[in-house]
Amino acid sequence: MSAVAGASTAAATRTTAAIRATALTKAYGQKRALDAVDLTVDEGSIFGFLGPNGAGKTTMLRLITGLARPTSGSVHVLGHDVATAGNAVRAELGFLPDVPGFYDWMTADDFLRFSGGLFGIGGAVLDERVAMLLDLAGLAGVATAIGGYSRGMKQRLGVAQALVNAPRLLLLDEPTSALDPMGRKELLEMIASLRGRTTVFFSTHILGDVERVCDSVAILDRGRVVAHGPIGELKARYGVQKVVLEVTGAAEEIAADIATRPWATDVTREPGGAIVVTVTDIDAARMEIPAMVVARGTGMSRLDAGEMGLEEVFVELVGGEQR
Amino acid sequence: MSGFAVFAAKEAREIRRTWRLFVLPGILAFFAVTGPLTARYTKEIVGALASDQLGQFQIPDPTYLDSYAQWVKNLSQIALFALIIIYGGIVSAERRSGTAILVLTKPVSRTAFVIAKATVHSAFLAVVVVIGTLVTWGLTAVIFGTAPGAELWSSALVWLVYGVLFVALMTLLSVLIRSSAGAAGAGLGMFALVSIASIWRPLAEYSPAGLTSLPTSLAAGQDVAVLWPVLTGVLLAAALVWTAATVFRRQDL
Repeated sequence: MSAVAGASTAAATRTTAAIRATALTKAYGQKRALDAVDLTVDEGSIFGFLGPNGAGKTTMLRLITGLARPTSGSVHVLGHDVATAGNAVRAELGFLPDVPGFYDWMTADDFLRFSGGLFGIGGAVLDERVAMLLDLAGLAGVATAIGGYSRGMKQRLGVAQALVNAPRLLLLDEPTSALDPMGRKELLEMIASLRGRTTVFFSTHILGDVERVCDSVAILDRGRVVAHGPIGELKARYGVQKVVLEVTGAAEEIAADIATRPWATDVTREPGGAIVVTVTDIDAARMEIPAMVVARGTGMSRLDAGEMGLEEVFVELVGGEQR
Repeated sequence: MSGFAVFAAKEAREIRRTWRLFVLPGILAFFAVTGPLTARYTKEIVGALASDQLGQFQIPDPTYLDSYAQWVKNLSQIALFALIIIYGGIVSAERRSGTAILVLTKPVSRTAFVIAKATVHSAFLAVVVVIGTLVTWGLTAVIFGTAPGAELWSSALVWLVYGVLFVALMTLLSVLIRSSAGAAGAGLGMFALVSIASIWRPLAEYSPAGLTSLPTSLAAGQDVAVLWPVLTGVLLAAALVWTAATVFRRQDL
């Protein structure tokens, strides 16, 4: 990927924002698909745009690419206002929509050449790039027209066409959704390989993908960004620690005992009987809980203590009442 | 090559490699071949079918002008209907299939997208009409022994302006109406309106409405003024395409 990705290694040192959305709002009638979204994506980063279906992820990508216009607010891409920049912005973008549409009568080679031509790429450069991207997409030697492709093949071709101009900013809308596990793994590895050279902004509802490759993440819920920052920071901010305890007896009494402790902010029981304790001081919990179990004259079959993962942060932030 | 040229080349390649290569050319080829034959043998056919009912009425012997009239009549009716239906999705089909999104997130402006489509398909129509007219001309010469070019070519070229006007109209309708069938229906409605408007003489003389009947008059060898209908027709076609581009620029995709 190295020859395709990243217009320049110097990009790694840039500190400008690849995407800067300010109070970005998109309304369809009375419904606000995006509601005053403020978002900054640093150049060179791999940014996960996370949200449940219908949260507004695709709308955000349409505004970033200029396919739709904001109701209010603005979005700047690579320093250009999308509303006025036109081709200047598009020349530096690579975009894969959620369901890419191709000319069914073209072959993959035709489409990549057509895409490269739209960017003004031609000659030997285009030949070399098309060959490399066909190889990347696993479509080298496939002479059938795109109309006969599977969804996975189309998705891989979609990724390849998004890279044909060696974009400074790669925008991917649910890129792994149509891929099998191998294809998904390969795509995530490819995205990871772009780190520092091309800014990658990808929307997804698959938390594992984000945790695997992203530096930063924004979580979108009902058109609003509910969390935004480096993944580690988000976990630290929202991912309170918790302890899961299973005992051989006197569970109710032990749960009541734990609830009296100052480090225990919440104590609940799981359907299987496990006691789940949200804690402010994990070390104190680790020391005191075994003693409390012994004091009740019973045994302990499980004691798990640790941070919440991104999935739990996500569920906590958006998974509440209605989902 | 610029984005416009690359996209226009794609449109031309799409014509060569899809059904578009066969439908409109096929229709026009059929009429180009059958028109002169129909003109030549209409008298015999009618005579055979209705000899008893014609009474004293004598059908005149056909001339090359009848062959030209057949060609222009077919262009003005069936070919135009086909054109309206074919181009109902000239823009909306790309929106529906998602191809417009992949193209328009690359350095191609929406104006270039619309103008390239209208230009390439107008050129395609011109090529098809010229070839069809050549076939009609040649067959007329063979069948009738004489085929002066002025009447045929003037009527065909004036009709071509009318056809290009409808390509432009369908481009606009296809931007405004997302359903191909809906745009085609609106196009047929516009055709009916223009045909009715052409009955009013001032409109027929000084507006594109005159293009409805001018080709028939020219094919019949009548001396008619074509300047204003042709000039206003060309200007209206350009204005329709520009309006389509302007509206398309403002739409969310």
